[in-house]
Amino acid sequence: MIAVLGLIVGVVVGLVVRPVVPTVVEPYLPIAVVAALDAVFGGLRAMLDGIFDDKVFVVSFLSNVVVAALIVFLGDKLGVGAQLSTGVVVVLGIRIFSNAAAIRRHVFRA
Amino acid sequence: MTADETPGPEKKTPERHEPEQREPEPQQGRGPADRRPMPPESRPAPKVAGEEPEGRKSDDTRQTADKPADAGGAAPVAEDGTSGEPQTGRQRLVASLWPPRLTRAQLIVALLLFILGLGLAIQVRSTSDSSALRGARQEDLVRILDELDNRSQRLTDEQRRLEGQKTELENSSDQAEEARKQTVEKEQQLGVLAGTVAAQGPGITLTIDDASHSVEADKLLDTIQELRAAGAEAIQVNNVRVVANTYLSDVSGGVGIDGKRVTQPYRFKVIGKPEDLEPALNIPGGVVQTLEKEQARVSVTRQRKIIVDALREAKRPDYARSSSQ
Repeated sequence: MIAVLGLIVGVVVGLVVRPVVPTVVEPYLPIAVVAALDAVFGGLRAMLDGIFDDKVFVVSFLSNVVVAALIVFLGDKLGVGAQLSTGVVVVLGIRIFSNAAAIRRHVFRA
Repeated sequence: MTADETPGPEKKTPERHEPEQREPEPQQGRGPADRRPMPPESRPAPKVAGEEPEGRKSDDTRQTADKPADAGGAAPVAEDGTSGEPQTGRQRLVASLWPPRLTRAQLIVALLLFILGLGLAIQVRSTSDSSALRGARQEDLVRILDELDNRSQRLTDEQRRLEGQKTELENSSDQAEEARKQTVEKEQQLGVLAGTVAAQGPGITLTIDDASHSVEADKLLDTIQELRAAGAEAIQVNNVRVVANTYLSDVSGGVGIDGKRVTQPYRFKVIGKPEDLEPALNIPGGVVQTLEKEQARVSVTRQRKIIVDALREAKRPDYARSSSQ
């Protein structure tokens, strides 16, 4: 419950305060958000499976974000940033879908 | 983001290998003793997870689905979830949602989700409100800049072309205006010669008072020719304009000029140089003396301004065409 509240508060704060993102980080923000979404869906599924662990969640969340940003950063340096970020988004999207499917089975039994 | 790692870095590595040390978390609904430690890289977890009593019909699908997901938050799938509790996922979800519990795990997850929400909101806002250039990557920006440069180059070229066209048109319209002016001028000159426009200028008036009707057409023709020879430019006799193709004939009681009957006194209005015209008429044995021999009274007066306003209609030639075109 508190976690959900945290998400809501984060969205509200982001909309209200309009924090300025440093230009260096800006290109990696969307990828990082997608990676974090993936981690959150994984965590939700794990919770439904009854195997949720907060430390693993923290580690996976942070590492997901960092690795995704790193891949995009590397891609930018190599000149294939657009393609690599597309690839990352595709992979994360697939994982989000599979996790969402598992969650759906748990919640709706279907 | 790295600053957020501080809550639990010291526990990260130990708990992976010794999950037993975790404190029991009631919303996850299982005892700590059920965990079987497993290194994180060994991920045959789905097979074990498939034995979970609560995963009923989704067992095999979950096995396949676990593979891409296990590196994410579902990493603890590696543990054996053979808890003997009959809770289903839905019950766990409800239990974790209500009543709210202020545990450390909840707080950490709330913090991470707060960050996620923040990033989400920032990203959504930055892509929705500001221009698309914000957050675009460098090569895209360079490409956009190139396109803009090309476009402005093209537009500059077009502008130059159009300006050239405009100048050309202005020139040509100037030329057309000039040509029109010249044409009008020429028309006036030719009109004076052809008798289609009125003319004015210095000249003389010549009056032949022929009370005895002894002056005939040939005398008038001589007079006209004398005037022409002296440089007369426009001649009018009474109300008939004398032009190149004027003809004279004798009619009863007067003279026919261009078929119009003209009676005495014959008043010539002549435009030309008065100093030339008058002596040309008055030379001994000239027009004046000849006419006076015919008992006509002749008077010549110079005038500063003569208006020749008798007109002839312009007649379009039926056969003759200009050969200069």
